Amino acid sequence: MRWFIINMLNGVSYGMVLFLIASGMSIVLGAMGITNLAHGAIYMVGAYVGWTIAVKWGATFGLGLLVGGLSAGLVGLVIERGLLRHLYKQPNEQVLLTFGFVYILSNLCLWVWGGYSKAPFTAGFLDSSFEMFDFAYPKARLSIILIGLLLGAGLWWLQDKTRLGAIVRAGMDDKETTMGLGINLEKAFAVLFFISSAIAGASGVIGAQLMGVDTELGMSVLLLGLIVIIVGGVGSIQGALLGGILIGVLDAFGRAVFPQFAMFIMYVTMIVVLIFRPTGLLGRKI
Amino acid sequence: MNVVPYVIGILILLIVPLFLSTYWIGLVTRFLIFALFAMSYNIVFGYTGLLSLGHAAFFGTGGYVIALLHLHYNVNLFWISLPLGVLVPTFTAALFGLIALRVSGIYFLLVTFALGEMLYSLAWNVKWLNSRGMQGITGITLPDLAIPGFTMDRTWYYYLVWIFFITSCILLNRLVRSPFGTALVGIREDESRMKAVGYNTWLYKYLAFVISGAFAGIAGMLFSYYNYFVSPKHLGISTSFLPMVMAIMGGLGTFLGPVIGALVFIFVENFASIFFPQRWPLMLGGLFVVIIMFAREGIGVYLWRILKKVERRFGSIKS
Amino acid sequence: MEVLKVEGLLKQFGGIKAVNKVSFSVEAGEHLAIIGPNGAGKTTLFNLINGQLSVTEGRIHFYGKDITNLSTHQRVHLGQARAFQIISLWQKLTVIDNAMLTLHGTKPHRFKMLRPTKDFKEVFNQAMETLRTLNLWEKRDEPVKNLAYGEKRRLEIGLSLAMQPKLLLLDEPSAGLSKGEGSDVIALIKNLKSDITALMVDHDMDMIFEVAERIIVLHYGQIISDGTPEMIQHNQKVREIYMGIEH
Repeated sequence: MRWFIINMLNGVSYGMVLFLIASGMSIVLGAMGITNLAHGAIYMVGAYVGWTIAVKWGATFGLGLLVGGLSAGLVGLVIERGLLRHLYKQPNEQVLLTFGFVYILSNLCLWVWGGYSKAPFTAGFLDSSFEMFDFAYPKARLSIILIGLLLGAGLWWLQDKTRLGAIVRAGMDDKETTMGLGINLEKAFAVLFFISSAIAGASGVIGAQLMGVDTELGMSVLLLGLIVIIVGGVGSIQGALLGGILIGVLDAFGRAVFPQFAMFIMYVTMIVVLIFRPTGLLGRKI
Repeated sequence: MNVVPYVIGILILLIVPLFLSTYWIGLVTRFLIFALFAMSYNIVFGYTGLLSLGHAAFFGTGGYVIALLHLHYNVNLFWISLPLGVLVPTFTAALFGLIALRVSGIYFLLVTFALGEMLYSLAWNVKWLNSRGMQGITGITLPDLAIPGFTMDRTWYYYLVWIFFITSCILLNRLVRSPFGTALVGIREDESRMKAVGYNTWLYKYLAFVISGAFAGIAGMLFSYYNYFVSPKHLGISTSFLPMVMAIMGGLGTFLGPVIGALVFIFVENFASIFFPQRWPLMLGGLFVVIIMFAREGIGVYLWRILKKVERRFGSIKS
Repeated sequence: MEVLKVEGLLKQFGGIKAVNKVSFSVEAGEHLAIIGPNGAGKTTLFNLINGQLSVTEGRIHFYGKDITNLSTHQRVHLGQARAFQIISLWQKLTVIDNAMLTLHGTKPHRFKMLRPTKDFKEVFNQAMETLRTLNLWEKRDEPVKNLAYGEKRRLEIGLSLAMQPKLLLLDEPSAGLSKGEGSDVIALIKNLKSDITALMVDHDMDMIFEVAERIIVLHYGQIISDGTPEMIQHNQKVREIYMGIEH
């Protein structure tokens, strides 16, 4: 029983990180129709900045999280304002452009922070275990679950309940009319992209508690995000959450039972979903 | 169709080894292999419009077939390796195509990416797919053609690659100018109209995907002999990215664009690896971004336009 | 000979029934017009008949065969051809390429991979004849996007005809055309061979009354009236819906 709960918690906490990654991607994909392949690289930038602040300079984890998120948001904003917005009617070019940035950002991080990966780190007060039932469980992981839930609620509120969400959804349907109504769609897109990238960066710092930081994150995190999106479905926070938790839990139990092939559980799940439900479990037509 | 420039090009490639050192012959071999890889990608992306991010899956599979035959069965006979090196990647493409083409647009991209990474992961983890104690397979030797009295060396290998390259060019050129090929362009430009005039567009996309994969597999096969070594990364995104850059740089959807793109790429890569090896990915990413933003039609198209202007100039002199 | 039979067709999008239990049949050689206010479900109906949309309920029969679950390209091979409301041509390709590509669609050698398209002289000659008839042969090497709107419309409809269909679906053929160009379309429809059946959707009442032998009126996805032009003109319900028709 204990084994089951521990692995479940492991799965859910890891799944929350996956959810954070996928939700950031999903916001931009569902609302703006942009497949931001640089999302993993932006995650990585946030993680490195967070590391610098929280570990190298010894400031608090919270500060690292904040600055990591903001700087990542800034990177995303620059990419969107400077380049992406000129390619609105050309989805293929957009995708390719963001992909170029994976290389650029990965190499820049390598240049600045060097090739050795950084070990997982967390806040001082989270660096211990919480007594639950008859075992001790890392507080850091529990806090991830909590943060994930909070962020999920916040994003859902943003998506369904705010003016910004409505504006963007209208803009996706009919750009001309929306702009004709005097709504500044450009600004809305910029804000949204910033939010998505900031979430990526913050996820990077949060995820660093489990995975550390390295220069391969650009690709590996992208891959994880994409698989979660394929499984959970595009365009909704709910899909990202379901996909993330599902993959996370399958991964955790997979590692516990046959560690060598845990990775394949993800791929197999993806293929099964593709065969039986190509738009993802909670997919919404974009 | 004006054959003169093509004949000149073929002849240049034929006599080039006579004047070059082994190092440079190796570089030109690499160019031809990647030009083939890029041309194969051009079929599925340039002509049909399907943005796939997992093309190296087939390239790498071709390479691994050769490597595994060598590692586990000590087979170096070209006449056994060749059919397998073509069939296995083709079969992989046939399988992946069935999965990937269940979806379209962004999903297709994501799925092809994930499938490629899946093979990467497989190659990384499964012991049988690796030489003892390392990642990848080493010790691949040049193919044995079983011709009495003939020893294969780097220069002769260049000619073997040359034969494959020219043959593939001819076949792919025919494909592209055939009714099948023009249908691919029709699908890229307006798939729903294609359906409305009677084309089974899924089948065309599938065939394009498989044919594309087959030629990528051939390139991968040739690559493993050239490189003496294959690794999981030859199956993954970092290799899938290459034909994409080359095809776009040279001119997507034009026949020779990928060749030009490969030429430019191989030589810039060579230059960069000597002077700033650490920053090559940064340069590559930056170059790619610049091309997407400002020169999307590719260098190949600009060159072609200049050629057309020159032709017109000469045309008016004649008349 | 019953060419098309549509039974209880229902197409639902969320809560909206775009096509609501529509049934009718069409005989060979008939020229049938489907009219109705915007949003009545006319284009949706065409999408169901031609296969771009799948039915929520109901069946479609073509020459007695149940085609409800067939895909668009399969229906084309059975003899359907369609001209779209928003002009559907390959804008970046030349006029001759558009013609060749369209005509190849129903030919078996569209799968040939090793011989150049140019070699298929028969199709080329057919394309040439078609373009000459449409007065577009001179412009054959022009990209379609450079043609005038009326020329594009003429090309699209002309190519649909060149496919030698048994059932021609014309979705707003006169949209955006001047009076002169519109009369070209009228002539084209009037000159259809007697074994070709034509279904058309349009708003140009003059044209409709000139070429249609039978009119179906749709409103909110349902058939309000089905009869000859004279019957429709004098139908009270139809007049209510279409206030302002001069005739």
